[in-house]
Amino acid sequence: MSRSRQQVVRMLALVPYLQGNDGVPVNEVAAEFGVSPKTIRDDLKLLMYTGTGEYAGELIDFDLTALERDGVVHIRDAEFMTRPLRISTREGAALIVALRTLRASASGLELTVIDSALAKLESAVGDTASTSVDVVLDDVDPTIHGAVVEALTGGKRLALTYATVSRDEQTDRDVDPRRLFTEQGKLYLEAWCLKAEDLRFFRLDRIVAADVLAIDAEPHDATPRDLSEGFFTVGEQTPFAVVDLHPRAHWLTEYYQVDLVSQGEDGVWRAKLYGADWSWLRRLVLRNAGSVTVIEPAALRERVVDDARLALEAYDEAVVHKES
Amino acid sequence: MAERKTERLMNLIFALLVSRQYLTKDQIRESIADYRESTPQAFDRKFERDKEELRELGITVEMGQNDKYFNDEPGYRIRRDEAELPDLELTREEAAVIGLATQVWEHAGLASESTTALVKLKAIGVDVDTSVLRMAEPRLSTDEPSFDAMWDAVTRRVPIAFAYARPGREPMLRHLQPWGIISWHDRWYVGGFDLDRGESRIFRLSRVIGEVTTEGAPGSYEIPEGTVMKDVARELFPPEPEEAAVLRIRRDRGQSLRRLAEKVTPLGDDLDEVEIRYSSRWELASEVASYGPDVVVVSPPDVRAAVVQRLTAAVTGSLEVGA
Repeated sequence: MSRSRQQVVRMLALVPYLQGNDGVPVNEVAAEFGVSPKTIRDDLKLLMYTGTGEYAGELIDFDLTALERDGVVHIRDAEFMTRPLRISTREGAALIVALRTLRASASGLELTVIDSALAKLESAVGDTASTSVDVVLDDVDPTIHGAVVEALTGGKRLALTYATVSRDEQTDRDVDPRRLFTEQGKLYLEAWCLKAEDLRFFRLDRIVAADVLAIDAEPHDATPRDLSEGFFTVGEQTPFAVVDLHPRAHWLTEYYQVDLVSQGEDGVWRAKLYGADWSWLRRLVLRNAGSVTVIEPAALRERVVDDARLALEAYDEAVVHKES
Repeated sequence: MAERKTERLMNLIFALLVSRQYLTKDQIRESIADYRESTPQAFDRKFERDKEELRELGITVEMGQNDKYFNDEPGYRIRRDEAELPDLELTREEAAVIGLATQVWEHAGLASESTTALVKLKAIGVDVDTSVLRMAEPRLSTDEPSFDAMWDAVTRRVPIAFAYARPGREPMLRHLQPWGIISWHDRWYVGGFDLDRGESRIFRLSRVIGEVTTEGAPGSYEIPEGTVMKDVARELFPPEPEEAAVLRIRRDRGQSLRRLAEKVTPLGDDLDEVEIRYSSRWELASEVASYGPDVVVVSPPDVRAAVVQRLTAAVTGSLEVGA
């Protein structure tokens, strides 16, 4: 939306807002509208040239002394517009999809509140906005989700059984929950892990069991990790493998951190594939064996071959076992 | 210049909103300085553009005559009862979730759209205190360059054309009447009526190459009644697992498969027999193969065969196994 269109929308909302909040500080108005105080001051200046006519009393006016001396806003002669305009389709769509996102990560009673808020909003905005946008998150076991929300809202400690994927193991630990959030369409719990004595992230669909304990969660001094770049960022220390990708595996380049090295005429691409650790990379190659093959490092290539050989023995044994 | 236009638009909206009667074009021109000071031709141009601008802002300008018997010149007005935000009668908790919802967008434009909606609610006296709730903090972000154009097309119902390519394929020009957009696994998709294929289709925004061009007027097609984006996009979601498989999994291993377990029988030797349901043989064989020797398929035979095929390919390092 163009800047001037945004300004018109904002000013039309400002007029009734300022009348309902007489004497509000400019800084507070700016925070409410999510813009700078200077933007609000510019809006006010322009509003003084608008109204229902061109004579005194027909133009919107402000108490300029209060504005300059105290930084507060008293609006006058704007009684012709005391209610804001309807929420537009675009605004409604942005808000509705945000509410649906909240809903997808909510649990229990929260769902009822979100549903009724959505229904009221949808009836005020109309159909176009409500049908045109949606957000889908993976389902999480409602028992586990509910326990996590209960601990979080009640300030209680949680006993977790958690499946670690790259090391493929299950561990038990007590945690003090801090917040629940989404990243890449998955729900995560950020919590202080009493075992690691540090903040940890737990993907909700990997929590095997969660019990709310009768112990209050304690505050812990820790700076949350900056996730603005996502969980996984490639650095100099990030393990990577050089792999060949059959056309069937080209989709991997859309899902993982990959640098394309070359594209062969036979459709085989050579690429650098980055992973959080070596066991994750090994599992990815085994999972896609036949479509992905390791060129280097040799250690990974050998490990994949060894694992596959060992696994194949199990199948031979089973066959022999059946025949005997 | 931009300021002058903003001022003119505001005065036009106020004039049309306040008037109980239809205002003729002459009356409108007379009451707004910028119109008055323009030549008749310039005024006509500006007035037409401004009416279009109001439409884009979602403000409906009604045309009509004050007295049909006198063959009056048609005039314009904004109907206050239709233009103003009605009371939504939100509870404290409902207002709080709407407040939280405005924090979901990590996209400057849409964060500002949802903030404006919230401010309008505050202007009718809705008290928004998000601290009454402590909920998950989901975030919605977009890094697809085509997102803004798609969002715009969807909310205004504008037909579009764009170049689209799967990785490694040649881009093709596609023509679409977009019905909606949907986020799944943090990726955005646009769905609608594909004019080239003559049926509903879904497109991944990250595969859109270059600019999205509009090919028609806003609102120039209808979205079929009862359209739900989740149904349009159903091909994205995994089907219900119906097939049964039996696996042998080493103790404490194969976590992702154990989560699907319907029954676990310890076999001794640190092995468990695990019964699961699955929907895709291909997916299951891949997951089993990824665990190497820790997971072995007992049945069904076709999954066993698919795993053996993958593992054999892993040993030889060949790229030939069929999916």
